[in-house]
Amino acid sequence: MGSRSVKVVLLEELDMEGKPQLFVKKAHMMMPGDLDADQAAEQAYDDALKAAGVSRDQVKSVFATGAGRSQVAFATEGVTEMTAGARGAVYMYPQARTVVDVGAEEGRGIKTDSAGKAIDFAGNEKCAAGAGSFAEAMSRALQLSLKEFGEASLKSDKSIPMNAQCTVFAESEVVSLIHSSTPKEDIAKAVLDAVASRVCAMVRRVGIEGNVVLIGGMGHNPGFVQSLKNAMEVEEVLLPELPEFVSAIGCALIAAERVH
Amino acid sequence: MNDGLFDQFKEWYEKRHDYARAWKARTGGQVVATMCTYTPEELLIAAGMLPVRVLGAHEPQNVTEPHIFGMFCPFCRDSLAQGLLGRFDYAEGVTLTQSCIQYRQAFSSWRQNVPSVQWDYYVAMPNDVQSPHSRKAHRAEVQAFRVFLQTLTGKTLTDDMLRDALTVMDENRRLLRELFDYRKADEPKVTGVEALYASITAQFIDKREHNEMLKRVLAALPARKVTRPTGARFMTIGSENDDVSFMAMVESVGATIVIDDQCSGTRYFWNASKNDDDVIKAIADRYCDRPACPTKDYPAHTRFDHVLNLAKEYKVQAAVFLQQKFCDPHEGDYPDLKRHLEANGIPTLFLEFDITNPIGPFRIRIEAMLETLSEEELF
Repeated sequence: MGSRSVKVVLLEELDMEGKPQLFVKKAHMMMPGDLDADQAAEQAYDDALKAAGVSRDQVKSVFATGAGRSQVAFATEGVTEMTAGARGAVYMYPQARTVVDVGAEEGRGIKTDSAGKAIDFAGNEKCAAGAGSFAEAMSRALQLSLKEFGEASLKSDKSIPMNAQCTVFAESEVVSLIHSSTPKEDIAKAVLDAVASRVCAMVRRVGIEGNVVLIGGMGHNPGFVQSLKNAMEVEEVLLPELPEFVSAIGCALIAAERVH
Repeated sequence: MNDGLFDQFKEWYEKRHDYARAWKARTGGQVVATMCTYTPEELLIAAGMLPVRVLGAHEPQNVTEPHIFGMFCPFCRDSLAQGLLGRFDYAEGVTLTQSCIQYRQAFSSWRQNVPSVQWDYYVAMPNDVQSPHSRKAHRAEVQAFRVFLQTLTGKTLTDDMLRDALTVMDENRRLLRELFDYRKADEPKVTGVEALYASITAQFIDKREHNEMLKRVLAALPARKVTRPTGARFMTIGSENDDVSFMAMVESVGATIVIDDQCSGTRYFWNASKNDDDVIKAIADRYCDRPACPTKDYPAHTRFDHVLNLAKEYKVQAAVFLQQKFCDPHEGDYPDLKRHLEANGIPTLFLEFDITNPIGPFRIRIEAMLETLSEEELF
């Protein structure tokens, strides 16, 4: 239950040469629109089940995670985003030890062990400037789609510092840069560098160790990924194909393991 | 635990201004707004006054901006706001004992801009309390405060009066330690919220009355039934904290706060005075010897081992730093203290506190912390 979208992951257990293994059967995402969080959860769950050809009574266990997890009435238990994110990231990249999770409203760094257990974490508490909604607001100010925004930033090699730490003031900085005829590419990079810098500062609180994996919707922004690499001074950031589903996968894995 | 045992403390906390007004009407004595728990309350008590520690209200406010910077800590801003909003209009006096520079500016703004203030006094306590010269210097400061109060009231504060006040204060300290001892048990009979109500009210209720209430509670505690699961044993670390809703949230999600290193808790009452023929020296030394605030903890960091010892004594499983935003002294200590605790097997969580706090996001962090501790359940 993210702050912007609802994701549902269905896992199924298959027999692999006599050994049962868990696989993702269906990953489904829904934007709640006008629906309340509890209605959105029901709708997304039903849609995912329908798409997978599974009925509710065939599901052995339902766990919820995310900001709105307490509103999933049909979930038997919940885990926090930190626990779910670490579990999902290590499931996908067993060598990952540092998980960077940047969603719509929150960015966080998670230190994990080899079992995918979160052992430390740090996140932004009140300010959106280290999260996806900040980048979204800035792309609106630049009149670029999110896709164009990320791609534009890759075309710049400038480093323009963004001083403001708040979305509203940062937007006025962006407007000032537009008025001073700064190319959009440079502004886009400045914004994403600023988000990456704030996220990196949080991750440094838990320490950057081992392989770094980026999860959460901001993983779709190639400009941000590059800015994050630069800020964290790492050569590689592991990036799942669908980074926004990783916490849901982790949550489902914990639910499946609890069944056993 | 809903047996009402701590209800009087809770009521005092919630109606502290009403209490002070009623005390004043009943006794005819002066009320003094005190800033910082290094204030030698013994002298005020001996002078027949009621020391009332200034606390914030945890409400959004818009009155301090002309007086102190927005990047001063929330506790300073919230405290000053209470004065500017007239919440302490019953207090004739206001005092500060030197701790941090932000608090000092809040005090200066209070005495200049709160119209009900009739007198103010600044106790220039040395910060370098580890220096051999400091005790002597602080004794002189406490004596100067005594002379000031004598001039103000026109009455002599005799050694006997001071000794009586010191006895009352030391009894309060001893009783609070006894109460906190109950939190060492595997199933503590006192929750963190209850302990906070008891320790914070000691800072603004008449000590004699507070002592009587503590004795009643202590007499009832042996028979008290624990009706809640203890869960994980947490410690809180920081400056002032009276955010009861935060504490209650923590204790509602599978944890118990069993000890603290905060000036709203143990740092206020942990040590009693030592016998000394010179009562002013006994009072002054007690404040030099108390568990240190970071402003008074150099060159040696005495509080690091003190905090660790508390954690061990109370079987703490994790420590939560309640960091008042922009509180430089505590922010300065944080990295080393975190390392010290973690190197000794105590994991930590950092939360940044403001005048009002986001309980929802904080709950997620506390729950995540609990999940990191509960290995066997999830994995």
